Amino acid sequence: MNDTVSDHNSVPAPVATAVLEHIVKSIVDDPDAVRIDHSENRGKIRLEVRVADGDLGRVIGRRGRTAQSIRAVVRAAATRDEVEVDIDFEDD
Amino acid sequence: MEWVETTAETVEDAKRIALDRLGVDESEAEIEVMEEPKQGLFGRTRGEARVRARVRPQTPRSKNPRRERSQRDGGNNRKKTNGGQNRQRSKGDKVDNERSERPPREDREPVDPAAVAAEAEKFLLGLAEAFETPGKVTVNREAEDMEVRLDGENLGLMVGPKGATLLAIQDLTRVVSQRRLGDHDSRLRIDIAGYRERRRDALSRFAMKVAAEVKESGIARSLEPMSSADRKVVHDTLAEVDGITTRSEGDDPNRRVVVAPA
Repeated sequence: MNDTVSDHNSVPAPVATAVLEHIVKSIVDDPDAVRIDHSENRGKIRLEVRVADGDLGRVIGRRGRTAQSIRAVVRAAATRDEVEVDIDFEDD
Repeated sequence: MEWVETTAETVEDAKRIALDRLGVDESEAEIEVMEEPKQGLFGRTRGEARVRARVRPQTPRSKNPRRERSQRDGGNNRKKTNGGQNRQRSKGDKVDNERSERPPREDREPVDPAAVAAEAEKFLLGLAEAFETPGKVTVNREAEDMEVRLDGENLGLMVGPKGATLLAIQDLTRVVSQRRLGDHDSRLRIDIAGYRERRRDALSRFAMKVAAEVKESGIARSLEPMSSADRKVVHDTLAEVDGITTRSEGDDPNRRVVVAPA
């Protein structure tokens, strides 16, 4: 596991983050380049996903369909953290 | 296989609704654009986009029926905007799946369905773990048809309201297994905590009850509008019941099964 999720106490949405990380790492060609950052945005947790240059298209999918599915699943996971999350996708 | 017809403001929306109704990924469906919204003044659209879609029928691979079909569809019904998407692609190019609009790839090798199933299993196990509700995965595979089931405790969160999260997980599982491996032939369905199975069972129990009432009263009954997948469950369940017949009437989204005395 990536060190962004190893310490649950320091992460505001551990379950959502673990789920997001698992999904994105399973989709991309370069799982080692996957980074997830957190920030607060008006009471919501924002999860920022960074992937290697060529991998963003795969994560977003045709017409954003894959990104939409990722958001749906990660938001479900976030209910276990009792927070609401937003997810942004960026490449390096 | 039955067609579903949908209308929406844009062709994309109409497609999306049709695929949701069929419960399959775009790569498994055959989609025809029947009507595009007309451009009105100032870029406003008048009229609606109309598409029809069905689950692509299973056909022997040797004849390459898919390719012929995609070429035929490339005629009058093709969207104007598609011109730019049919550019040449090198073999290793990993642009996301383009299903029926994709130019034929003559040189691709079929992917072993067992490999697809193994990827799907690995993904689901890891996902359940990440949700902190680890489960067990079983794969039922008949040639290119597979159902991958995740079972365990407290998996409700992964099913979601009306199975919405389950559908998103299915979508992602297909991306991870089929699309990653370049597989375009297998059909992959996901079930979590027996949700689909329970729904199917409840629907066929309901169908049996209606059939008994119709037989007793001799009066035909029209059911609520249902998706094509659900209508199929009703037709299949009642095909074995003597003394009644079933048929579908109306147009989607109001197409419904009518149960009538034989």
